[in-house]
Amino acid sequence: MESIVSIRSLAKDHAGEKALRGISLEVPDPCLFGLIGADGAGKSTLMNILATLSDPDSGEVRMLGLDLRKGFPRIRDDIGYMPQRFSLYQDLSVLENLDFFADIFGIRGKAKAERMDHLLEFAGLAPFKGRRAGLLSGGMKQKLALACTLIHHPKLLLLDEPTVGVDPVARRDFWTMLKSLRAQGISLIVSTPYMDEAALCDSLALLHQGAVIAGGSPAEMLAAYPYRLYRVEAAPDARISTLNYPGDKPPPPGFELIYPSGGSLHAAEKPGQAGDPLGRLRLAVPEAASATMLEPALEDCFFALLSGKTANAAGGA
Amino acid sequence: MMSGSRLATIARKEVRHIFRDWQTLVVVLVMPVMMMFLYGYALNADAKEIPVMIEMPSPAPETRQVADKIDASSLFSVRGTVPTASDPRELFRLHGIKALFRFPSGFARDVRRPGGARVQVLVDGSDPNLGTIIRNAAEPMLLGATLEVLGVEQPKVLDLRTLILYNPEQRSALFFVPGLMAVILLMISALLTSVAIAREKELGTMGQLLVSPLRPLEIIVGKIIPYLFLAAVDGFLILAVGRVAFGVRIAGNPWFLGACSLAYIFTALSIGLLISTLAKRQQHAMFMALGATMMPTVLLSGFIFPVASMPLPLRILSHIIPATYFLEIVRGIILKGVGLKELWTPLIVLMGEGLLLMGIAIRKFKVKL
Repeated sequence: MESIVSIRSLAKDHAGEKALRGISLEVPDPCLFGLIGADGAGKSTLMNILATLSDPDSGEVRMLGLDLRKGFPRIRDDIGYMPQRFSLYQDLSVLENLDFFADIFGIRGKAKAERMDHLLEFAGLAPFKGRRAGLLSGGMKQKLALACTLIHHPKLLLLDEPTVGVDPVARRDFWTMLKSLRAQGISLIVSTPYMDEAALCDSLALLHQGAVIAGGSPAEMLAAYPYRLYRVEAAPDARISTLNYPGDKPPPPGFELIYPSGGSLHAAEKPGQAGDPLGRLRLAVPEAASATMLEPALEDCFFALLSGKTANAAGGA
Repeated sequence: MMSGSRLATIARKEVRHIFRDWQTLVVVLVMPVMMMFLYGYALNADAKEIPVMIEMPSPAPETRQVADKIDASSLFSVRGTVPTASDPRELFRLHGIKALFRFPSGFARDVRRPGGARVQVLVDGSDPNLGTIIRNAAEPMLLGATLEVLGVEQPKVLDLRTLILYNPEQRSALFFVPGLMAVILLMISALLTSVAIAREKELGTMGQLLVSPLRPLEIIVGKIIPYLFLAAVDGFLILAVGRVAFGVRIAGNPWFLGACSLAYIFTALSIGLLISTLAKRQQHAMFMALGATMMPTVLLSGFIFPVASMPLPLRILSHIIPATYFLEIVRGIILKGVGLKELWTPLIVLMGEGLLLMGIAIRKFKVKL
């Protein structure tokens, strides 16, 4: 199957700094592809390049069977792009916003009416079609923006941090919509700083300081987790039941990594350790009362990857 | 290729923005009218009843009579007479006077002597305009009053008859209506277009427009059209208020004035576009537009200060800014009633500048972000 997006050694400087340092990626078609990374990892820079709004300094990008540099006017016909901030006209109503985007894409007449009705229904915005976009809730704004990017039946959607600043319920709704688009055969590239959204993607790339440090399906990434993970908790009746661990303090003996997660600590034990893990943990965390083995989540994988340890461990093994 | 329907789409959306933001719309429509009245009443150069004092060491009848003539004139109002002023500045401070007439003790005697009498006039120079008015008025007035007191008829040596053309009553309305046309049309057009485009960048919607099948020219022209109309409405408002409230009639062809105004508005819109290609935020655009239009137009176009009396660098600048040429055209049409035959040079310069600026703006308008 040909990739819908194929990136080779893509580099781009932004504001004098290396925003992207030689990225290579393959996005199969169709796919719900997640670009995961913290702020400043280079997600938006990459999104802008894919949206044909900024030129790469070096490297090759093929999208929808065309070379990005030469074919960008034609690529633009088949992509839908949703920029990072809420990018619609706040003073226009839901219907007027959709109408505007339908018009500039040359969709008119009966086709336009049908398409708009369908999208209002799809986004659950039919009851609010007369409301000004600026008065919608954060979640509804994002659904409207998504509806507007879908107006011209794009083959590929580029969504730059679509759920930042949106409440958890609306985020779940939004991802349900993305899943259903994927089921209709549309490819999506979604950037997000939220680890829990990563699990909903078909395939992932983890961006860190302008480089892809890991990639693959969520299952592959979980399978590659090299440590034994423990959840470390304080005694339920302890004075301080929430445990914390300073980021600059070295991990306890035999452990690679330890970090807070939802009130308890997650501790990643290096392979081949013998003896009681709780005893070793207590050397660094005296309040620790229990250490339970735990299946790693994607979040744990990313922490391990970001600390730069997995690459070394895998290389050494 | 430009598509008419996509152009109409952009223009229609812009009109919606304009009407939704009704506060701005009110400002745009009320400001010219307000400025007309402000200029109309504040720019009144006729000084009246300027407070002055008189120093008179020996009150002879002749001196008193001259002093009374000063008071009787509508220009001055005598606030008091002092025998001697040891510190004249004290009088300026205490009584808020603008001038002090100092008559010598032997005034009545001296005026009859061949050398004549000396009268000193101290003028408050902190307001240069008022100072000039006092200076220019003092000598002929004192001379006239003294001759009258002496019963001497002024010898007729020169009979100067000035005939003022085009604005015989020297009404300031005729002076500020063309000036305000130049300022307001430029400001509204440049400001509104640059802000409208910067707003799309600030909101992030420009990215979406660029990714769409819209061509840059369609975005630009579609955005310009509504503001062209708005600026034209403002021009009409200025002329209407000038006519109704200040009695300014257009001596020339009003349609020709309208056509020239459209050419000027086009140039102003190009400036706005050029600014918007540089500004990333609405606020940048606003300050740049105000700086690039308001100040040069008021100060350098010849609206208030005559271009001929400027130093060379400013005169060159003044010949660059479009307002100078538009002012020449508007004054020509409104005051002199002249037409294309007399005004083709400034009109061609104006249109040339508009086309040049528009060309640069379109070239600089980025297809990418």
